Amino acid sequence: MMTSIFIAVAVLTIAAIVFGIILGFAADKFKVEGNPIIDQVEALLPQTQCGQCGYPGCRPYAEAIANGDKVNKCPPGGTATMEKLAELMGVEPEPLNQEAQEAVKKVAYIREDECIGCTKCIQACPVDAILGAGKLMHTVIAKDCTGCDLCVEPCPVDCIDMLPVETTLKNWDWKLNAIPVTLVSESLEDR
Amino acid sequence: MAFKIASSPHVGTTLQTAKVMQRVVLCLIPGIAAQLYFFGYGTLLQIAIAIITAYAAEATILALRNRPIKSTLADNSALVTALLLAIAIPPLAPWWVIVIGTLFSIIIVKHLYGGLGNNLFNPAMAGYVLLLISFPVQMTDWVSPMSAAQQSVDISYAWKVIFNSTSDIILTGHNLAIDGTTMATPLDTLKTDLSMGLTTHESLAKPIFSSMTGLGWFEVNFAFLIGGLIMLKLKVIRWHISFGILTALFICSSFGFLLNPDTHVSPIMHLFSGGTMLAAFFIATDPVTAATSARGRIIFGAMIGALIYVIRTFGGYPDAVAFAVLLANMCAPFIDHYVRPRTYGHRSGS
Amino acid sequence: MLTLLEQLDKGSLWQSPGGIHPPELKQLSNQQAISRLPLAKQFVVPIPQVGEQARLLVDVGQTVLKGQVLTEGNGFIYLPVHAPTSGTVTAIKPVASNHASGLPVLSCIIDADGNDTWCDLIVSEPSALTNDEIISKIKLAGIAGMGGAAFPTHIKLNTASEIDLVIINGVECEPYITSDDRLMREHSDEILKGVEIIHRLLNPQRIIIAIEDNKPEAAEAMQQAINHSKLPANSARVTVIPTKYPSGGEKQLIQIITGKEVPSGCLPSQLGIVVQNVGTAFAIQDAIYYGKPLVERVVTLTGKNIHRPGNYWLPIGTPVSTALKLVDFSPSSDQKLIIGGPMMGYAINNAYVPILKGTNCILAPSNDEISPDSDEKACIRCGECAIACPALLLPQQLFWHAKAEEYDKAASFNLQDCIECGCCSYVCPSDIPLVEYYRIAKSALRVEAEEKVLAEQAKQRFEARLQRLEDEKLAREAKAKEAAEKRQANMKSSDKDAVAAAMARIAAKKAAQSNDVNQQTDIQNNQAVSDSVNKKSAVSAAIARAKAKKAAQATPPPSSAENNTLQQDNSIGNVAEVSMSQQDRIAAAVARAKAKKAAQHNQVITSDVVVNDSASVSTLEIDSTVNDKKAKVAAAIAKAKAKKLQQVGIANDTDGNELADVSSITKTAVASSIGSEKLVTESKTDIGSLDKKARVALAIAKAKAKKSPQGHDRTAADESSSSLPINLNTQISNGTSTSSDNEIIADAEPENVEQDKKARIAAAVAKAKAKKLQQTESSNVKSALSDISTRASQTENVDTAALDKKAKVAAAVAKAKAKKLAQQAEKKD
Repeated sequence: MMTSIFIAVAVLTIAAIVFGIILGFAADKFKVEGNPIIDQVEALLPQTQCGQCGYPGCRPYAEAIANGDKVNKCPPGGTATMEKLAELMGVEPEPLNQEAQEAVKKVAYIREDECIGCTKCIQACPVDAILGAGKLMHTVIAKDCTGCDLCVEPCPVDCIDMLPVETTLKNWDWKLNAIPVTLVSESLEDR
Repeated sequence: MAFKIASSPHVGTTLQTAKVMQRVVLCLIPGIAAQLYFFGYGTLLQIAIAIITAYAAEATILALRNRPIKSTLADNSALVTALLLAIAIPPLAPWWVIVIGTLFSIIIVKHLYGGLGNNLFNPAMAGYVLLLISFPVQMTDWVSPMSAAQQSVDISYAWKVIFNSTSDIILTGHNLAIDGTTMATPLDTLKTDLSMGLTTHESLAKPIFSSMTGLGWFEVNFAFLIGGLIMLKLKVIRWHISFGILTALFICSSFGFLLNPDTHVSPIMHLFSGGTMLAAFFIATDPVTAATSARGRIIFGAMIGALIYVIRTFGGYPDAVAFAVLLANMCAPFIDHYVRPRTYGHRSGS
Repeated sequence: MLTLLEQLDKGSLWQSPGGIHPPELKQLSNQQAISRLPLAKQFVVPIPQVGEQARLLVDVGQTVLKGQVLTEGNGFIYLPVHAPTSGTVTAIKPVASNHASGLPVLSCIIDADGNDTWCDLIVSEPSALTNDEIISKIKLAGIAGMGGAAFPTHIKLNTASEIDLVIINGVECEPYITSDDRLMREHSDEILKGVEIIHRLLNPQRIIIAIEDNKPEAAEAMQQAINHSKLPANSARVTVIPTKYPSGGEKQLIQIITGKEVPSGCLPSQLGIVVQNVGTAFAIQDAIYYGKPLVERVVTLTGKNIHRPGNYWLPIGTPVSTALKLVDFSPSSDQKLIIGGPMMGYAINNAYVPILKGTNCILAPSNDEISPDSDEKACIRCGECAIACPALLLPQQLFWHAKAEEYDKAASFNLQDCIECGCCSYVCPSDIPLVEYYRIAKSALRVEAEEKVLAEQAKQRFEARLQRLEDEKLAREAKAKEAAEKRQANMKSSDKDAVAAAMARIAAKKAAQSNDVNQQTDIQNNQAVSDSVNKKSAVSAAIARAKAKKAAQATPPPSSAENNTLQQDNSIGNVAEVSMSQQDRIAAAVARAKAKKAAQHNQVITSDVVVNDSASVSTLEIDSTVNDKKAKVAAAIAKAKAKKLQQVGIANDTDGNELADVSSITKTAVASSIGSEKLVTESKTDIGSLDKKARVALAIAKAKAKKSPQGHDRTAADESSSSLPINLNTQISNGTSTSSDNEIIADAEPENVEQDKKARIAAAVAKAKAKKLQQTESSNVKSALSDISTRASQTENVDTAALDKKAKVAAAVAKAKAKKLAQQAEKKD
């Protein structure tokens, strides 16, 4: 009777030691560098760096999400991003906490003759996409603009517009039924 | 002037869904004719009831789902479902059997899954299985096959039996007015006999097996085979599923027959009795619930064939077509997931 | 086992999966020879690369000759654009493109002069050219793939890979199209000359001309042309392949001829294979032998609604509408116009689009030739699409995911390998426009990929910016520390006595000036105002308004629950109240700010006055002695400015009185202030020229003054200030006064101002702001709307009266603001 108890205890102890060693090796061997979830979250975020989530940029928000913050604070990403985040984090999707922006991608445009050269928008731009110097006209590098809206507010003369990105042959979305059927003026056709 | 815009291609085949279904129906005609010939006109009444019920149910549910009614009814898919179910059930089953079966097929199996194209299970077979489990007596009393000369089930007689609400006739059919009209199917008889310790030879000596695989059944199956071959020719169906079913059933039953002819019937018996040919060409080939790729379809068919044999031989039910088809339906997404064709320019496996 | 080359020589063919056999209908257009149509009067030449990789060489009104190059660029995929005929460029504007989207692209409109005069063509013998010269000639001729995709040919012919096999694509598998068929029948020798050039450039082991078996005449003609061509014996052959759509696709053709598959995402050149269209070979021949750029091509005009169907030589840029008119096109109702064949061509809604290099067919079918529009029905998973797919895809799975917009899942089913041939849609019994779904999904995936790249760039830029800000901060801190250390060192070495002396002198000076202070404070005030009226006035007005607007936005709208009913009942009144209360609040804030500013002004002013005083003194002295011309000029400018600003001031203000008053003084004040300021620098340089040491000392003193910190370290500033004047004092009195005054400024109000100039501007801005707000306050209290109108009128006044550009801008801004406010008011209503 006693021996069987001893055997059981011994077996369990040995098993515990063996598994402990295995686990220890596994923890060492398959150690995860950093916190990959943050990178995954960040990869999903739109990188507009707009700060509308309340964090100074997308990376901090990604860290916050990884630490349990809500996934619905990214208006530029829209519902699609929120759903992906919810899926990644294994939480229920929630509606965006701000009014969802229209899906149209926009870029900032400075009405250049109205610009007074105050540089305030330059300081506000999170991606350094505005070019200019004090008392000189500024302009937006359209290809680098993320459409984050942050430059509109600081402008003292309100000369920044957010314009939707123009559709060209390259970014056309092939939605045929969206093509307006326009009548070409006969004069042009007859020439 | 402005011209009309449409997406390419601007030409297309004229073989549309409605036409495909229509051809299926036309190809069913030889089989139905044979069935009428050997089992009387009960089937005709069942077909009529099933079609009316199916269209009514489909129209109602489409109205409830806010879907276009007219164009959807025109695709003839409800017609095919109703026909298949009506053919599958005993010709003299009471009217409410086919009504329940059809309603279940159309409403539950088809529309609650999202309508044509989205259903997981073959509607006709799911309806059949429901009936088989719920009303085993009504579903296993088949009309005994007659030669044309002896035909005793005419329209008026069938009408009387089917619509007689006091169902004692059916329940006690073996010894009352229609004695000699209804009886178990050959497969059923065989199964009972085998379980009673008789050998296949002894069982097959019974009068019901006067034809090669049971009177009438061989001819009906043969007629369905002809209809199926016409469908293949018309390219209404592709050969993969039918080939899979018949080959697998043949291989399995040959194996069993060679191993022990006393307890296993011949492959011919398997291929030409029960609903084998109907299933192989008309039921399992329902594209909605089958696997999609060519290889997947062969696997899907083989699975049905093997299941038919296994259930017939070892299961509790005499015929197994419906169960085999439903089980294979369940596996279809799985098969599709694992049997993906290799895309052009990709190495195999990717 | 035969080698590939042996099999090629035998003409072995492999099976390409899938494919369909649509009705060919080629006999409509392949019966007569290629002919010419009368020249169009107007041509549209799209120049899409201009602005990205190319520069436009012509201008509106310029005369161009046929074949003249219109653009210049040097990008890798840049292809020059040529004038299709001689004539005049009448416009350069966006015109609807020959593209499925019909979106406008920048185009040159050329009105033909009817002469069709060629520009100078460089005729050359290819044997005299090097390979590089040939390639560059091909590029300069603007040759692009003529089969439809219009990929620049010079890139294909300049591949780095070793090429074993060249396939000349004469398959033309699309129904209706016969342009290559006719070209091969009629110009086989020319095509072969082009093939010879390709052979020379790529030096392949074999050249195969692939032709479908429904074009026996073309195959015959090409075989004969090979027989008397200069190609090495047995290196070229015609291989007739069975008719099946889409065997003319590059990947499918390679599979049929060689049995190899082009790996996904790779180019055929990686297999050592290049595919060229017969039309391209013809164009190469034209470019090399005759120097002709690609300005015309064979186009099949067909369909039952074209009454003279056939193949025609059409200059590139001919409007489709013109071409159709010339072949008796009679549109039916719901006419479709298809560019390309019925399988892959796209329908256009506007016929005024140019014929492009890749436009091989214009199809105007009657309604019984094409499928009627039918609604998409449910997919029954029949799998016909998978059987027809030449790329071995599972179209219904793709459709499933594309329809659900699960594009990443569609991509996992290799959506990117879809060649959009349309076979799946063709066989679909449910009339599902599968290809359309795939195109949308593909473009969505493309956009997604691009956005990913952009997001990555944005991230990098954001991080770079953070890094830069961090670096700047560190640099600033280091500098401040250094300066502090320096100051510490200075303080130690400075003489206490000197400090005392300086303090005494400052006190004395202050006392002496105190008489003037009051008087000059007025002037200074006015100056500040005028300064603000000066270029800053408009700006500050704009700023003030923008602020007011933001403040208005910041106050919560009257939509809280308890307000709701009230608002419904008496919404207008409520809004008015709210707006008033907002304005009141703003006014209060403004008043406070004003008071604060006013308090600061006294300090600022004293310092400024001193500066001006001393500066003017020095100016007068130096001006007379040095006789500086520049100073005079500056003074004159200042005066003119003051005058202008006075006008602005008057126009700008409704009360008028205050500013009118101000502006009268402004004239002199501004003149003196601006002039003197300029002259201060002059004086400094002059002093410097007199005494270098003094200048250095002065500079140091100035720098010190600048650096003197705001609140604390006053003694340090004092000490440094006092130490320097002593040095200076001994040498030049002028310099002393200037520098010491500077010090006094720093001393007098170190809390608010680092530099006198800044302080002045700030004061001016604040004042102007306050004033504006006062105005808006008073008018707003009356009513919000009247305010808007008055301001609009005010600003209009400014607009007409003011010459200053900034003022105009401000006016525009103000107008916009007024508009916005009006809209807001309406909304609130």
